[in-house]
Amino acid sequence: MAILSLQSVCKEYSTDGQSVRALENVSLDVAEGEFVALVGRSGCGKSTLLHLAGAMDFPTFGTVSIEGLATSGLSDAQQTALRREKVGFIFQSFQLLHTLTVQENVELPLLLAGKPGALEIALERLHWVELDGLGERYPHQLSGGQMQRVAIARALVHSPRILLADEPTGNLDTTTGTVILDLLLRLTRERKTATIMATHSHEAAAVADTLVVLRDGRIAEVTRR
Amino acid sequence: MVRLELFYRLMVRPLLHEPVRLALMVLAVALGVAVVLAIDLAGSAAAGSFHSSMETLSGDNDLEIVASGGVPESILATLATQPFPLRLSPRMEDFAVDLRTQETLPLIGLDLIAEGRRYATRRSTLQDTSLEKLTGEESARMLEDPQSIWVSAGLGKKPGEHLSFLINDQVRDCIVRGVFPDTSANGHAVLMDIAGAQRALNRFGRVDRILLKLPPDGNLDEWQERLRGVLPAGIEVRPQGTGTEENRKMLEAFRWNLRLLSYIALVVGAFLIYNTISVSVVRRRNEIGIVRALGASRTDVVAAFLGEAAGLGLAGGLLGLPLGRVMADGAVKLMGATVESLYVSSRPGAIELTPHSVALALAIGIGVATFSAFSPACEAMQVSPTDAMAQGRREYLAQMHKGRDLAIALVLAVLGALAAKAPAIAGKPLFGYLAVLLLIVAAAYAIPAFVYIVSRIAAKSLEELFGVEALLASRSLAASLRRTSVLVGALATAVAMVVSVGIMVGSFRQTVVNWMNNQLPADLYVRPAGSPAADRHPTLSPELLEKIRTLPGVAQVDRLRAYEISYDGMPVTLAAVDLTARRARRQSDFFSGRPASEVLEQLRGKNNVIVSEPFTYKHHVKTGDTITLSLGAARAYFRIVDVHYDYGSERGYILMDREVLLKFLPDAAPTNLAIFVAPGANAEEVHREILAAAAGHRILIFSDREIRAEAVRIFDRTFAITYALEAVAVIVAVMGIAGALLALVIDRRRELGLLRFLGAASRQIQKMILVEAGLLGLLANLAGFILGYFLSLILIFVINKQSFGWTIRFHWPVEVLLGALTVVYTATVVAGLYPASIAVRLNPLEVIHEE
Repeated sequence: MAILSLQSVCKEYSTDGQSVRALENVSLDVAEGEFVALVGRSGCGKSTLLHLAGAMDFPTFGTVSIEGLATSGLSDAQQTALRREKVGFIFQSFQLLHTLTVQENVELPLLLAGKPGALEIALERLHWVELDGLGERYPHQLSGGQMQRVAIARALVHSPRILLADEPTGNLDTTTGTVILDLLLRLTRERKTATIMATHSHEAAAVADTLVVLRDGRIAEVTRR
Repeated sequence: MVRLELFYRLMVRPLLHEPVRLALMVLAVALGVAVVLAIDLAGSAAAGSFHSSMETLSGDNDLEIVASGGVPESILATLATQPFPLRLSPRMEDFAVDLRTQETLPLIGLDLIAEGRRYATRRSTLQDTSLEKLTGEESARMLEDPQSIWVSAGLGKKPGEHLSFLINDQVRDCIVRGVFPDTSANGHAVLMDIAGAQRALNRFGRVDRILLKLPPDGNLDEWQERLRGVLPAGIEVRPQGTGTEENRKMLEAFRWNLRLLSYIALVVGAFLIYNTISVSVVRRRNEIGIVRALGASRTDVVAAFLGEAAGLGLAGGLLGLPLGRVMADGAVKLMGATVESLYVSSRPGAIELTPHSVALALAIGIGVATFSAFSPACEAMQVSPTDAMAQGRREYLAQMHKGRDLAIALVLAVLGALAAKAPAIAGKPLFGYLAVLLLIVAAAYAIPAFVYIVSRIAAKSLEELFGVEALLASRSLAASLRRTSVLVGALATAVAMVVSVGIMVGSFRQTVVNWMNNQLPADLYVRPAGSPAADRHPTLSPELLEKIRTLPGVAQVDRLRAYEISYDGMPVTLAAVDLTARRARRQSDFFSGRPASEVLEQLRGKNNVIVSEPFTYKHHVKTGDTITLSLGAARAYFRIVDVHYDYGSERGYILMDREVLLKFLPDAAPTNLAIFVAPGANAEEVHREILAAAAGHRILIFSDREIRAEAVRIFDRTFAITYALEAVAVIVAVMGIAGALLALVIDRRRELGLLRFLGAASRQIQKMILVEAGLLGLLANLAGFILGYFLSLILIFVINKQSFGWTIRFHWPVEVLLGALTVVYTATVVAGLYPASIAVRLNPLEVIHEE
């Protein structure tokens, strides 16, 4: 069964009275352990699709389901619960809190959810991303690659079913980017998450199981390897 | 023009995008300006330009002749027989209470026959008052009628109508014979013929003042010398209106201290402007880099931020003008009540918003804002274009030199302590004011280190108590240390004002209460009805005293008689009491520490006096010194045998044996009575008996408990304006906190959006902002409390002592302080509600992808 399912999804935005359709009739199923790359030009709807997949936004038409549960019509509390339990986000610009240490950044989602044992789990996730011993440092003391590893550890700290990565290698050099991609792929397989990555990078797209090409808000092509 | 256009686009337009925050900042400045303006205007009206009520209908005379207890009528004859063309205007001056309105009015008695004769030749004191010429048979009849009065137009009465007044303890029904116009020189007043006034006041053989108009040639000083040569030693000759000038000088200290308090609100506003401009610099760091790269000079950058501040100051000043004018109306009432209670019966002058006041308000608004913005503007000037642009929009964490600033704080605090030890200059505690300023600045420098240390210590406990939201809040505050420090500094200054004034007033209050407990040994006290004032001493009829003495429940009646006299150019209260054994049993506070019985015994039958502490301070005398008093026509020497603590009035008090005073001023009517109830008699029963015996007299009877409560009520009323100033300072600070928290939310919107992505619920975001507000409030309360304690020491032992001469014993008003700090803390948290609601409403999708 698909962990994430988009059925005939349309997303419209209204700006200054003008209606803009960011996604048009998008249907996509993602299974557990599947690594999906979304490619397309800027403005093709990649980020919008990620937001819908993560229940941060909701379709104008169509249905988005996470483990069979439709995201539309969820209350704010239900959306929050979904984000705490099932979805993890990774951003292009890392988005770490500079006032918290590495370990505190990683355990933050668990603390927000009030889950016990946050410290132990955070340290374990840092081990997953091979950043043992750096828990007391602050983000400004890390390299770009290290910061992105911390962001990945944070995204995985609550063992989400879905991992959403928006240009995770966009701010990294090629070598570091490759390392990050390998890490993402490995964790996807080991943890059996469904990973959806928006990217401009061909190298990034090449590691994915499924390549989805978006053009003007529509799925132009789906290639499964 | 181009520069102005650029200024508008780069500086003004972005401000307009945050209208709520802009409004809060402008309003904060406006309130600071309004308070300073209001106190200045009200001070001028109530204390600066006030006219003593007794200057009503005083005309254009040159000199006045006065004597303690009144000028004997024989002096008129002496002056009339001098070979000089003098115009003499004898006057009776006292007060009457209008029973319709309970307003206390000056009661003036003039020789209306003489004035009427002079009217035709335009040499009358009553010239230009539109009073009818008082000549002819009808006028003579009116003048003979003891009920005849003339009143000012403001009393709304017409000739022929009746008015009832309370004069001393008697009600008199009067008939209005004429009306004279109210002018700035002549306020509400009641005029009688001098003979009628003497009858009404039961004072014969003396007049209160003789005004003299001198010939046009001649030097004022020479005339004073000439007249002193022909008059007895106890009679004083001085320029007319000297009494008013004496009172104005006395009120200067009062005005100065209120000014100081009003400036605190401005200081708080200055902190907030500093914060606003600092935040502006940080936010626009990237833009500064861009415009510098495009050709703007450093001067252009400084000018832009100073211009932003000046604009805020101008807007605040313009808004503060009408606000201040409105607040002045309220302030003059409060100040007027204090002036009446503690200083002198007066009517406030008109509140005048002069061009000078307008210029002052705008100068204060613009000046304070620009001064506060100077440092952050200079910092903006230092921004290097390449650095700023390369770092993108990442927040620049300003270096905080905590160690260096702490050292500066310590130096300033030591300087402040040294300043506090310095003596007054011309009776003003200028070094005391300087000490206050130094301590406030010292606190501002110390606060970053304070915030850092307290945050570090408290962070873990806060997380355990309040959860991850508290961790995020405390880290956020600590990370933007400069911003946090300025906000804490602003609120702490307001809190310090509340704490220091609260401790000072509470200590003063407790000192007064303790003092009263020692001072009031009698069971009941009787005085004439009507509102009391520092310089009004209505008398009781002597026959009433005899009636009360013979009541079965009364063991003893002690009399006190008080006079207003002038000593060494300042008004003083002279009082005389019966020296009975019962009075001597009271426990009084004397500097010598001796029991009252011993000290009072030294007064008996001798030219010895006790003086109050304010008297010694103002006139630089001490126990053992000799003072010269003019009493009636005589001058006599009196030795000071001791000094007592007295908080009844700032004017200064001289106390002597009643029998001694009667030798000089034989008026036997007492000002009030202290009644000792017979053993076994019931005080309430005696109270009723006295009321019955006093039928036909208007009196007030107080038990010792009631008199204390009345005294405390008057005490609290005199500080009403102080409380109002404190409230404004706190409001300014809390508004600033609200604006600053709003800015914090806007500046951290990406962080807040990220938290939503990470699973934070709306209420958790809200809680985080409220915890931040609470932390700011807590830090400010702590810092403000410490600063306020030290400021209270300066207020109590330096400023108050040097201004008024009172010794106040330190006392912690725990309940008042707890209440005030709780209110401030709650207001701070409430101020976070709106920013918290904005934070919750942020769309995480928009903010996270802004870059």
